[in-house]
Amino acid sequence: MIDTINLKKILSEEKDSKVREMKSSAYEGMASSLLNYKEEYKYTPLLRKIEKKFNSLSPEKSLNKKIKDYKGLIPQSEKFYLFILNGNYQESLSNKPDNILVSKYSKLSIKQKEEFSKSYSKYDDSKSDFFSSANTINHDDCLIIRIERNKALKENIAIINLIDSSQPTYFRKCIIVEKNSEISFSEEFINSTNNISFSNTVSEIFLDENSKLNYYSVQNMNKNYHFNSINVLQKSNSTSNFHTYSFTGEIIRNNLNIKLEDKNCYANMYGFYAVKKNSLIDNHTSVDHMDENSISNEHYKGIIDEGSNGVFNGKIFVRQKAQKTNAFQSNNNILLSDNAKVNTKPQLEIWADDVKCSHGCTVGQLDEEALFYLMSRGISKKDSISLLLSAFSSEITEKIEDEKIKEKYENMILTELEGLNHG
Amino acid sequence: MLEIKNLHASIDDTKILKGLSLKVNAGEVHAIMGPNGSGKSTLASVIAGREDYDVTDGEINFLGDELSELGPDERAREGIFLAFQYPVEIPGVSTTNFMKTAVNQIRESKGKKPLDAVAFLKLMKEKMKLVNIKQELLSRSINEGFSGGEKKRNEIFQMAMLDPKLSILDETDSGLDIDALKIVSNGVNALRNKENATVVVTHYQRLLDYIVPDYVHVLIDGKIVKSGDKNLALELEEKGYDWIKVKN
Repeated sequence: MIDTINLKKILSEEKDSKVREMKSSAYEGMASSLLNYKEEYKYTPLLRKIEKKFNSLSPEKSLNKKIKDYKGLIPQSEKFYLFILNGNYQESLSNKPDNILVSKYSKLSIKQKEEFSKSYSKYDDSKSDFFSSANTINHDDCLIIRIERNKALKENIAIINLIDSSQPTYFRKCIIVEKNSEISFSEEFINSTNNISFSNTVSEIFLDENSKLNYYSVQNMNKNYHFNSINVLQKSNSTSNFHTYSFTGEIIRNNLNIKLEDKNCYANMYGFYAVKKNSLIDNHTSVDHMDENSISNEHYKGIIDEGSNGVFNGKIFVRQKAQKTNAFQSNNNILLSDNAKVNTKPQLEIWADDVKCSHGCTVGQLDEEALFYLMSRGISKKDSISLLLSAFSSEITEKIEDEKIKEKYENMILTELEGLNHG
Repeated sequence: MLEIKNLHASIDDTKILKGLSLKVNAGEVHAIMGPNGSGKSTLASVIAGREDYDVTDGEINFLGDELSELGPDERAREGIFLAFQYPVEIPGVSTTNFMKTAVNQIRESKGKKPLDAVAFLKLMKEKMKLVNIKQELLSRSINEGFSGGEKKRNEIFQMAMLDPKLSILDETDSGLDIDALKIVSNGVNALRNKENATVVVTHYQRLLDYIVPDYVHVLIDGKIVKSGDKNLALELEEKGYDWIKVKN
């Protein structure tokens, strides 16, 4: 598949010398990232599927419609939104708050470029992950978002990704939250084609001292192969809250890598998935405790129906320097069918001796005793199951701070649960 | 109202009920007593429709309908209520939400309109008084972290909300102190009327001081071996179950 990438053409189209350098070194490292593939994608045959469906890893840049014709697809309910079409930021269809910087990398001043080169492609996982390196090579013009120091943005910013292409699409963004600032994003992905599509997204997020980020994302795309890698670097006293919701698609692979580089960092990772048919949902997360006194807290829950598969892999690293670390991890699954499957694996590497770490994973079925209890009060079997499953999800949704987003996600879960076939 | 004829039931090929017959009319209270393992809780579960049990012979008629083909939800809608010996804890579902769904699904099955929020709250307030249960408890997840007494009160609260025709109380006295026992019994007595019936399943005579039965049946080895009035319970208390076993 690597040979389908025309590096010469890509480099000739790229004007920025630093980006050219980044791309060619990613290309050189691609073969070695394939060495990791076997282990990291043990249960997720993403590459094989993509080889079968797509002639090339490279994107097709022509659009099916004129840009302004996509306007109707913007949700009315959002105040601030960034509209991304096939991985490209569309300024004319977006509405950003005045006090933050949102720009394509190519449009930045030389000085600004210098500033962002500290983050851009500096801590992503493209050295170890084949699809992240494919993103580094193939993405066209990174989107830069920066919140200046001492600013707390009350309103959430929606990032709407629309996929309207039968070729692979790549989206790349850098988010920089400066000291003492606070921001919240909700990202969603929409597949407007009726065909199989492939969307590949890589994000790098820098949280400076004492900053806070809420990041909500929902993946609800029929017939899409979705690769999403989020890479976070946190400075002291910063907080990140990630909420990842995944529903029936073809294959969804999420990498969430968080580096807690300094003291007193706080990272929360919550995930919920409900899938049916023959979907595959794979969450790979890693938290790297690099310094003292930080807390990471992770809880993923999922419901797997019909012939679907779930994969969870949670890595926690606690370096020798990272004394007084608290790291918690848990993954719970309910299988609704004999054909449903889950592979779940906690992976802890602890080098410090004064730490509190816990992990646990469960794979089970619906509680028959609880089901009988509900039914014995006159509630139909179908509704009793829905009640139990939405109760199962509530432990994750109750962590959502934003009431509007919480209600939206709860409704999406209800719709999904009602559509399950339980077998 | 309830007529059980020659009922045989087993679980995992172990025979538990071996030809049990029982007739309960509206307005009556029946007590089923018996030693451990005699099949008392099985009888309660089989009437409520628990799927773990196989009914291998006999029939259960309720208001003229044969129950064996009906699921537990359909039986509840017909008017059967089981107060559990061990009420289940269900994290994430509040009792209030649970009861609202149950009340309205039962209403719907009878062609009635669902209760709106105001009417439902009014009904709830009224029934809460009956068993002295607080709103705060009902807003919490079903039975989660409840004491033994609170769980049993919640059972009787649910019974009051659903207004069943036949209530089966499975070892409702187990795990209750004397004050809680009084509250629960008062609740049950307040719900009694000429139209409904109650079956009390219990080990001990103690509960029957508070919920006074019209009939007492002794269940041993899957069959009712002796029936009588409330004095039978007193006699049992005095002489123990061996007294009947020996006589048989």
